[in-house]
Amino acid sequence: MFFRIVNRVEEAIISLLLVAMTLLVFWEVILRFGFSTGVSWGQEATLHLSAWFVLFGASYGLKVGAHIGVDAFLRLFAPLGQRLLTGVALILSLAYCGLFIYGSWVYLAKMHMIGIELEDIPVPAWLAHGILLVGFVFLGIRLLELFWRVIVGRATGFAMVDEAKESMQLADELRAESAPAATDGGAR
Amino acid sequence: MTTAVLFLLLFGCMLLGMPIAIALGFSSIVTILLFSSDSLASVALKLFEAVSAHYTLLAIPFFILSSQFLSTGGVAKRLIRFAVDVVGHIKGGLAMASVLACMLFAAVSGSSPATVAAIGTIVIAGMVRSGYPKAFAAGVIANAGTLGILIPPSIVMLVYAAATEVSAARMFMAGFIPGIMMGGLLMLAIYVVARIKQLPSQPWPGLREVMSAGFSASGGILLIVIVLGSIYGGIASPTEAAAVSAVYAFLVSVIGYRDMGPLKATPWRKTGEGAAAMLVRNGWQVPLAIMRSVGDDEVRKTVLDGAKVSIMLLFIIANAMLFAHVLTTERIPHQIAETIVAYGMEPWMFLIVVNLLLLAAGNFMEPSAILLIMAPILFPIATQLGIDPIHLGIIMVVNMEIGMLTPPVGLNLFVTSGITGESMGWVIRAVLPWMLLLLVFLLLITYVPQISLFLPEYLDKLQGYR
Amino acid sequence: DDPVVIKFSHVVAENTPKGQMANRFKELVAEKTGGAVVVEVYPNSQLFGDDKVLEAMLLGDVQMAAPALSKFSRYTDVLALYDLPFLFQDLDAVDRFQQSEQGQAMLDSISRKGLIGLGYLHNGMKQLSSSKPLRTPEDAAGLKFRIMSSEVLEAQFKAVDAAPLKKPFSEVFTLLQTRAIDGQENTWSNIYSKKFFEVQPYITESNHGLLDYMVVTSKEFWMGLPDEQRAQVNAALREALDFGNQIARDKAIEDKGLIAESGRSEILELTPEQRAQWVEAMKPVWKKFEKEIGADLIDAAYAANTTDNQVASATDGQ
Ligand code: NA
Ligand code: NA
Repeated sequence: MFFRIVNRVEEAIISLLLVAMTLLVFWEVILRFGFSTGVSWGQEATLHLSAWFVLFGASYGLKVGAHIGVDAFLRLFAPLGQRLLTGVALILSLAYCGLFIYGSWVYLAKMHMIGIELEDIPVPAWLAHGILLVGFVFLGIRLLELFWRVIVGRATGFAMVDEAKESMQLADELRAESAPAATDGGAR
Repeated sequence: MTTAVLFLLLFGCMLLGMPIAIALGFSSIVTILLFSSDSLASVALKLFEAVSAHYTLLAIPFFILSSQFLSTGGVAKRLIRFAVDVVGHIKGGLAMASVLACMLFAAVSGSSPATVAAIGTIVIAGMVRSGYPKAFAAGVIANAGTLGILIPPSIVMLVYAAATEVSAARMFMAGFIPGIMMGGLLMLAIYVVARIKQLPSQPWPGLREVMSAGFSASGGILLIVIVLGSIYGGIASPTEAAAVSAVYAFLVSVIGYRDMGPLKATPWRKTGEGAAAMLVRNGWQVPLAIMRSVGDDEVRKTVLDGAKVSIMLLFIIANAMLFAHVLTTERIPHQIAETIVAYGMEPWMFLIVVNLLLLAAGNFMEPSAILLIMAPILFPIATQLGIDPIHLGIIMVVNMEIGMLTPPVGLNLFVTSGITGESMGWVIRAVLPWMLLLLVFLLLITYVPQISLFLPEYLDKLQGYR
Repeated sequence: DDPVVIKFSHVVAENTPKGQMANRFKELVAEKTGGAVVVEVYPNSQLFGDDKVLEAMLLGDVQMAAPALSKFSRYTDVLALYDLPFLFQDLDAVDRFQQSEQGQAMLDSISRKGLIGLGYLHNGMKQLSSSKPLRTPEDAAGLKFRIMSSEVLEAQFKAVDAAPLKKPFSEVFTLLQTRAIDGQENTWSNIYSKKFFEVQPYITESNHGLLDYMVVTSKEFWMGLPDEQRAQVNAALREALDFGNQIARDKAIEDKGLIAESGRSEILELTPEQRAQWVEAMKPVWKKFEKEIGADLIDAAYAANTTDNQVASATDGQ
């Protein structure tokens, strides 16, 4: 139950960020083209929304297997071998995360100390850039979770998404829809 | 030494099955720790800059979102109907129509596998029913689908523009003629084969049906006008046009075609409904439906799917920028360029090397990742050799198209195998003869830069400058 | 001993005045310190863009940079002075003020944030370019102008009823070319090197504003240098800045000539009456920012326009 809620909240935040930045840019075009005016904080806001979107979404992407990678080599091994190699990859990934968490912390602490704000939006820089730390902490948690599943044998790899498989899903949907329509020859 | 460590780490991590984004970031940060005095804090800052300082890159999530709505929203079906009506009556017409449909879909979508899936699913079955050999149908579609990244808009071109700072709008313009040319080449080849093999043609449907199909497809075709029109007609930059296109794609599929969302079962006009009643009913239903979309499962899933793909790509790009940062500060492209220039390598020889390198990489990696790793290396060398950056970009895109058709990692192969239910080996054999055509096309593109450069330069001249 | 390394990060090409100044600085430092201090120049935003370079400097990963004066708005209010329209009538006036006591004191305005300004570098006086001929302020009404992020510049265009739009520099050419935006303000050398003149049929020689850079370093780094080296580096910088400023002046004249020669845009000169109208329309902006910048500072800067007010050539910064 708890995890279902976390999941829904995560999905809602990610979708909201994407929709917000799309609509903001769209709105700026309407304002400029239709009313010869702009949003003075628009550009900075869009860019920061995109930063939040990517950094917050990275860990969600790991959970749902949205990141792409090459698993051809891994597949040459038996499941135990795959789990071992994935374990190594996970340790290195955790190191990556740890280095970034440390770096972000130092960076944000410095920004906090100096006390500067963003250029067009009166928000402290450390707060607006804080997603660096949040994002990498979340990513680290997800990596640990995956590590645990590899140890107990419930996963053998990063379970990356296949863009091809994804497109296939779309193909299946289309086929299901068009099955009756396509009987009269060709695609009409 | 630095170079060796950087690339060994990258390839090692990738072999272990690490997500490409993390592999890029990890190899960069370790190389920085080992060989440079930069602090981890500034590496974190650099990553934040990578995700927050490139306005052009925002076009990527917007175009992905728009593609997502178009692929699930039945636009493909209407484009196919229109294409079949227009060229179906020629010998081999259904196959040609499939290519045309792929070209049209490519002009609204930025991705190749999406083009194959959206068009291929319907037309391969249709061609087989009309008496085409299945391998013929599959081969044509897998190849024509690669046009998704050559005909603008194109995600891969945006990635190239971001990696090299050439104008995305010029890249889009440059892809236009090559895209139409490759589509034309495919159609020509189909016509020749159809003559020899006596392949069937469709009956001419009559002008009325063509018009009706054209009207039905106009919701999709209009998007081409909106995207390219707003970029070149002075309303918006590519990033902004992408946002407009995402909003438009949502409106077309949810309000216009009603293939998804809250109005799915509600037609524009109910049978026996008067015009006034229809206007009044839609007058309140449409705004209500736009608001209700927020809670609609299909719409939400479409947005979330778009978000997933965008996050994956943008996270790779951010880490790849870190990687490029290491490359430039270690002056690696410089060194390679100096070696090449010292060898006295001519531009044409360099271009052979570029093609071989990219074709090899295309066997194993996904296009955006290849571009992000290779562009920062190849771009400065090409500049030194006097090769136009836009021309280099188109060469890279065409190489990426071929990469989608070569095993073991070939996105279009996977999708085609999925659609047809045939083995990878079967698909590879089906695709091969058409891919040879694509290789010839690559040679043309490589050594006749005017194909890529004519349109952007002509447009410049038209507006009175160089 | 390992040499002290100064990473000099900038965002423009090596053949620009700033790029040449940086490279000259590198040579001079090598000369004066006998190799004890090494300058590494990173052009073209290779290290960081202008928005993030100061943060990187505070982290100790970049030692010197030269962002545009408008880029310091997050660190101090007073440097907004240099964005005020029609404050200086020419670069000579700018020089007189910058070398004055008040001008030099402004270099220290960011020290509370851990940064130190070492000197000013010119790009030049800004001109107005547009798709329509701009002779009087009324001509600009309703038009869309691209600005860099600055409240003063925003107010400046609003003062003539034009619409200021913040857009990244990388998108400006396309937006001007397609007429999505009507105009922009920039120096002759930027209008030429960024090819804006090819897509803007009219350029009004307004000299209405200033585009200058400030060479900055971090306090921590600067104070950490031994006195002798600091003096040597500072002397090298003075020389390099003189060199760069001369190039900037020459380049403005040269590039204006090249633009005129190209015939792609018409250069409009303002009559004294027309100029007076622009000044009248835009001058209220001064009042608006008087509190943040300081009225006496604005007065001092304005006074630099008349030569009799000239302050004896300033002491060398530090
Ligand atoms: Na496309
Ligand atoms: Na491949």
